[in-house]
Amino acid sequence: MSGSPLASVVFLKIQEFARRPVSEQARLRAQLEAVVAVTAAELDPASRIVLEAGDGAVIVVLADPRGALRLAQRALTACAAGLPLAAGLNHGAVQIAGRKDGAGLTGDGIAVAAAAAEFAPPARLLASRAFRDALAEAAPGVEASLVKAGTFTDPGLRAHELYRPDGEAAKRRAGRYALAGAAAAIALVGAGLAARIAVEGQQPFIESVVAKYRSTAKQGEGYWRALVQKVRF
Amino acid sequence: MAKKKTAQIGRYKILGELGRGAMGIVYRARDPALDRVVALKTIILSDEADGRAEYHKRFFLEAKAAGKLTHPNIVTTYDFGEHDGLAYLAMELLEGTDLRERLQQGAMSPIEALEIAQQVAEGLGFAHERGIVHRDIKPGNIMLLDRGQAKIMDFGLARMRAADHKTSTGMVLGTPKYMSPEQVAGQPVDHRSDLFSLGVVLYEMLTGVRLFAGEDTPQIMHNVTYAEHEPPTYLKPELPAMLDFVVARALKKDPAVRYQEAYELASDLGTCLAELRARAGMSESSASATKTVKIESSVATLPEAPAARSIAFDTRLPFARQFDSSAAVERLAAPSRGDRARLGRAPRPVGWLRRLRHDAATRWFVLSTLAAALAGSYAAFG
Repeated sequence: MSGSPLASVVFLKIQEFARRPVSEQARLRAQLEAVVAVTAAELDPASRIVLEAGDGAVIVVLADPRGALRLAQRALTACAAGLPLAAGLNHGAVQIAGRKDGAGLTGDGIAVAAAAAEFAPPARLLASRAFRDALAEAAPGVEASLVKAGTFTDPGLRAHELYRPDGEAAKRRAGRYALAGAAAAIALVGAGLAARIAVEGQQPFIESVVAKYRSTAKQGEGYWRALVQKVRF
Repeated sequence: MAKKKTAQIGRYKILGELGRGAMGIVYRARDPALDRVVALKTIILSDEADGRAEYHKRFFLEAKAAGKLTHPNIVTTYDFGEHDGLAYLAMELLEGTDLRERLQQGAMSPIEALEIAQQVAEGLGFAHERGIVHRDIKPGNIMLLDRGQAKIMDFGLARMRAADHKTSTGMVLGTPKYMSPEQVAGQPVDHRSDLFSLGVVLYEMLTGVRLFAGEDTPQIMHNVTYAEHEPPTYLKPELPAMLDFVVARALKKDPAVRYQEAYELASDLGTCLAELRARAGMSESSASATKTVKIESSVATLPEAPAARSIAFDTRLPFARQFDSSAAVERLAAPSRGDRARLGRAPRPVGWLRRLRHDAATRWFVLSTLAAALAGSYAAFG
């Protein structure tokens, strides 16, 4: 590996954490730990690293962007239980940092996820462009569920193109593709017919089509009769 | 020439010397009017005429304000005045030791530390309610009495010292170890500055570690302003986890997200104290039946994890202690050949064939178009 490894980073941020009373901070932190324990359990222990952040938790997911997205979405359901979470997702560089065996992780992958979490409204997640690309590569088509939320500039004046999940976006895209497919089909068949008319002329073409229809109808009638005979017998 | 021994200051008869400081001498003295023994703190007034007038005015204002503070956790000021170029304060004489000496004697139990911090917070809360900020909370200004009572000393004197910390060139004098970041920066301070200082003292009592220590004053000032602390439970795992949050909140660099009231801090310390006492009670009752085995933490410690906003600048985050991430860390540290290929490259655009295989919408579009093309060809040439 020439550079730092790339991984999907889920930043789960407890909103307004610093401003809450300490007893509430302790409660929310314990609640978040439970949420992370439940959601991270779905991932292979060899593909997730859990980090502590001052106002939340970070889950670094190795080679599974889809799993990272699922984890973030599941974690956000805990908002219904009174845990004010927001999530930021990114796919970027991470590196072991610290003394001896490594006491933690560092990297731009974490920084961008943190910035995305900072911009995310309550109970929502925002994902970076890099994460969307990683998701597209891992599960083509799934990235369509992330639609552009806008470009946000962090306090360090770095601009982030962020995406938000939209449950209807994939359906809308499938509808659009179906419509485009049907339109293409009509256009191509129509073009074929037009070409035939142009070569044969309109009257002979209509006659040949009518003749073909009659012979087909006759064949069909004979077939039906035979079938009815068989059934009666 | 030998110095003349002071026999009387104001109406107070000097009985002996209790100590000497940068500002003056503390005497044991008798108040003949009330037949009461007091601690008499003298302060040498500035020799410069301009400075003297200013100092004089501030001293009397502060002493007057401090004289209004009557609280079990604040040393009471009985009287103040001026005598032969010496300003003096007559204060409650206490039998005990100060917290600095107590910390030098050795480790403090968590319960003892929390009891002291809670009392100091109560005392500060009382003073803050009356608009008085101490500005110099440090172990040397916390008196410990024999029955576990803690009292804050030197209310009223702190402002003069605080003013002395900064010279005309903006240089901060004295040790800023217990100062808040805004105090170190020479910005205006309010009661939240005292809470930061109390947070530093609390940390030292709990862990025995001098927070923001440095080789010289500029280094200490830098540490006060920028260095993050390790959560106390990293150093003393037996402490309640809630204490990490209490300390973290008291030591917030930004006063806006720090504790806003000393009583709030006192209340949180009370909760931690109750937990510790309950735990102590439980361990006493079950001492014969169970055995506590301390599990050594294999993870090296990191400073307190930064919050999302500051991560843009400092991305280093510690591993969560509650989760075992060793397998994935191992994978990251020594990746297999497959992992090197998977983790080592940026996402690539997805090819049409792959998309056709995995993406149902694209598949439908391409297949329907192909079928239509065949039908169209048949219509044209068939």
